[in-house]
Parts: sequence; structure tokens; C-alpha cells
Amino acid sequence: MPRISILIAESTCLIRKGLSSVIQKLGNVEILQSVSNKAELCDIVNRLKPDILIANPNMFDSDYEDLKKPFVAANKMSLVLISEDKSIEDTYNADAFIHYKDNQSKILEIIEEIVNQKAEKKRINKSNETLSSREQNILKHIALGLTNKEIADQLFISIHTVVTHRKNITQKLGIKSVSGLTVYAILNNLINMDEVK
Amino acid sequence: MHIKKSMKMADVIQMNYMLIPVIHRFGIELGFGDKTVDQVCEENEVDLNFFLQLVNAYHDQDYFPKEELQSIPVREIIAYLKMTHASYLNNTVTDIEQKIKSLELEGNEDKKYIALIRNFFEGYKSELTEHIMREEDVVFPYVLAVDEIIKSEQFTDKNKKVFESFSIEEYEEEHDDVEEKLMDLRTIMIKYVAPPANTNLYHSIIQDLFRLEEDLNYHSRIEDKVLIPKIILMEKSIKNLF
Repeated sequence: MPRISILIAESTCLIRKGLSSVIQKLGNVEILQSVSNKAELCDIVNRLKPDILIANPNMFDSDYEDLKKPFVAANKMSLVLISEDKSIEDTYNADAFIHYKDNQSKILEIIEEIVNQKAEKKRINKSNETLSSREQNILKHIALGLTNKEIADQLFISIHTVVTHRKNITQKLGIKSVSGLTVYAILNNLINMDEVK
Repeated sequence: MHIKKSMKMADVIQMNYMLIPVIHRFGIELGFGDKTVDQVCEENEVDLNFFLQLVNAYHDQDYFPKEELQSIPVREIIAYLKMTHASYLNNTVTDIEQKIKSLELEGNEDKKYIALIRNFFEGYKSELTEHIMREEDVVFPYVLAVDEIIKSEQFTDKNKKVFESFSIEEYEEEHDDVEEKLMDLRTIMIKYVAPPANTNLYHSIIQDLFRLEEDLNYHSRIEDKVLIPKIILMEKSIKNLF
């Protein structure tokens, strides 16, 4: 399971540290850093690209909605808001809410759910579509009409490795035939139409 | 629910519209009013037993009453399969090809992609044609020869030669998936190509591909589950005979 990174933005030191130590109890997460003001927050998000942002809305002042778009959406973060004020649930829009008075198991439950969603998304993205550069290279050779043996010789790898790559490529793309793979390669500019025999 | 001879033919079609091309291949036309399957078959001189077994096999993947199927004359099966082949090549596949071509002719910036799709489909078409030709030139004559030997209980020079030149096992092995390319094509059209301006036509091509695939699956089911087992049995009894 991929590790999920979390950034905590909360101005109260005690809350920040406390939340951080509670979240550590979840196995596959990594607390990137905790920040206490807006300027620092922007900087760290851009630099470290966390998966989840846990923030107190009072850090954003009045421009919460303005920040949300370029920030949360653009960085594909999940947003969890934390506050002592129960009414934030009505005022703001977020993926989840934590209240100061929530007990540990409640907090863990909320965070864990978001973490699992994120992890699942990451896993799907990984197994879907995106060919590694090695696979792209092999696909290119397949599309050019080379046999497994020829590909193995050219790339200095074993035939067995070529076969494994081919299997993975077919699985990722959902395309089995050589001519189908060729069309994919052309559509994705891996090869040129004139290169195909 | 199985299709029975007392059912109304209209109800049968309502139940599964994929049977429209099937009955058409038997020469049965729509507009049968309230006539039953039995009556329609009689009017069109279609073997009722064969018709029932076939539509049920089409309609229900798991329908395979061995005994009834065994009683179907080989000639009927071959004649039906040939009709199906002709309808694929002359109608279904040609229609799809025409649609792709007219999409290409509408030409704009997507032209290049449509040309790719057309090339691909043409490749598929020639593969399918080759497969069908092989069946008609080699497999079917062989099957008919086997049938003749069983019926007359003797070899003639001619059917002996055909019988020895081939075995259905060979066919089983080479009866690989011509459908693979077809599946790839729809995957490519659905996942990897941004549709051209004429989305209606593009969508209708994809739907045609699905239907062709479904129909071909039915078709291979008849070959794999009816024809091949029957011939394997016949081959055995010929070996026992002589």
C-alpha cells in the first residue's frame, strides 16, 4: 500500500502536536510537517505536495474559498478541517471535519477513511494506463513489428523479461493484438505513422 | 426461459432482439402476427428441431441438450453456418466499414485517427475473411465427407482423400479468437480516441462493434459446442467402423 502524506496547518501549538501524535498511530501515513501560518502553508504545499491537508479554517481568514481552488483542487489534496467551532460543517466545504472535542478513536476513524480513499486512488492510478518508460519503449518496438527475440536482443534483456513486459502492457491498456498496440502507439505519439510497415 | 414450439414467434423476438438476424438467415421475415414458432417454421420449410435448438443455444449460453443437438443433421448445421458467414461478410462487416469510411470522408483534424481505425478494421476484416474461407474450403467439406462416410458406411476414393487430409482436432487448435482484434478496436475507440465531430456516427460504430462481437460469440458457440463435438464422435465411429 502506498504511503500517504499529511500536512497539518493549525495555529495552536498544542493542537498541532497533539493531532500529529494521534495520527502517527495510523500505520501507512507520513506527517510531513506542521505549520502555523498561511504563508508557510502555501510554500510547503507547493514544495511537498501532500496527499491530505488538515487545516483550521481560521488560518485562511476570509479568503477560504479563494484559496481552496488553486490550492486544494490543483494539488489534488483531500481537505480535512479542524476547529473547536462545530458550525464549520455548515460554513465550509471539505472532505471531512474534526472537532477539538472528538476523542482519539473518532479522529482516527475519520482520518483513516480519507487515507484509505487516497491510497485506493493511488493504487488505481498506478495499475491503470500509465506505462512506465521501459514499457513504453518495449511497446514502441512491438508496434514497429519486432518479435520478442528481436526486442530482447536490441534492449539486452531476456526474452522472458520481454514477455512479462508485454503481459503488463496488455493488462494496463486492455489491448491484446499487435495491430491494436500499434494503433495505441501511434495515437500516443510513441511512433510515427510512416514508421509502421 | 427456453423457447418452445408453441410460443408466438413475435414473443420470441421480443424476448431477445439478437435473434432477428438469426431468423433472417433462415429466410424467416418479420411480420408474423400471432403465428407460433411451429407454424412459422412450417411455412418457411425450416426444420423445427434444428431451429429450436439453435435459437435456444443463441438465447441461453448454458443451453446444451446434447441428445437433441446430436439429432440435427450435419448438412443443416453447415448450411446454416454458411449463411451466417455470408451475412457477416456481405452485411454486418461491410456496413461497419462503410460507416467508418463516411466518417473519414467528413474529414477534419481527426482524419488521421479515423484512418488508423479504418486500417485496423480492414486488417480485422481480412483476418475474418481468411478464417471464414478456411472453414468453407477445408473444414466444411471435411465435415460433409465424414457425414457421407458414416451414412454410406464406406469410403469412396474422393471422401477417403478428404477424410485423411484433415482432422477436427486440427481445427480446434486453429480455431483461435478472431474476436481479439474486434475487442481491441472497441477498447481503442472507447478509451484512447477523442471522438470526432460526428459523435452520432462514431457511437453507432461502437454499438455495431459490440453487436458484431456478440453475434460472433453466438456463432462460435454453435461451432464449438455443436459442430465440433458431433464431428469428434463421428470420427471415432469411423475409426471403429473400419
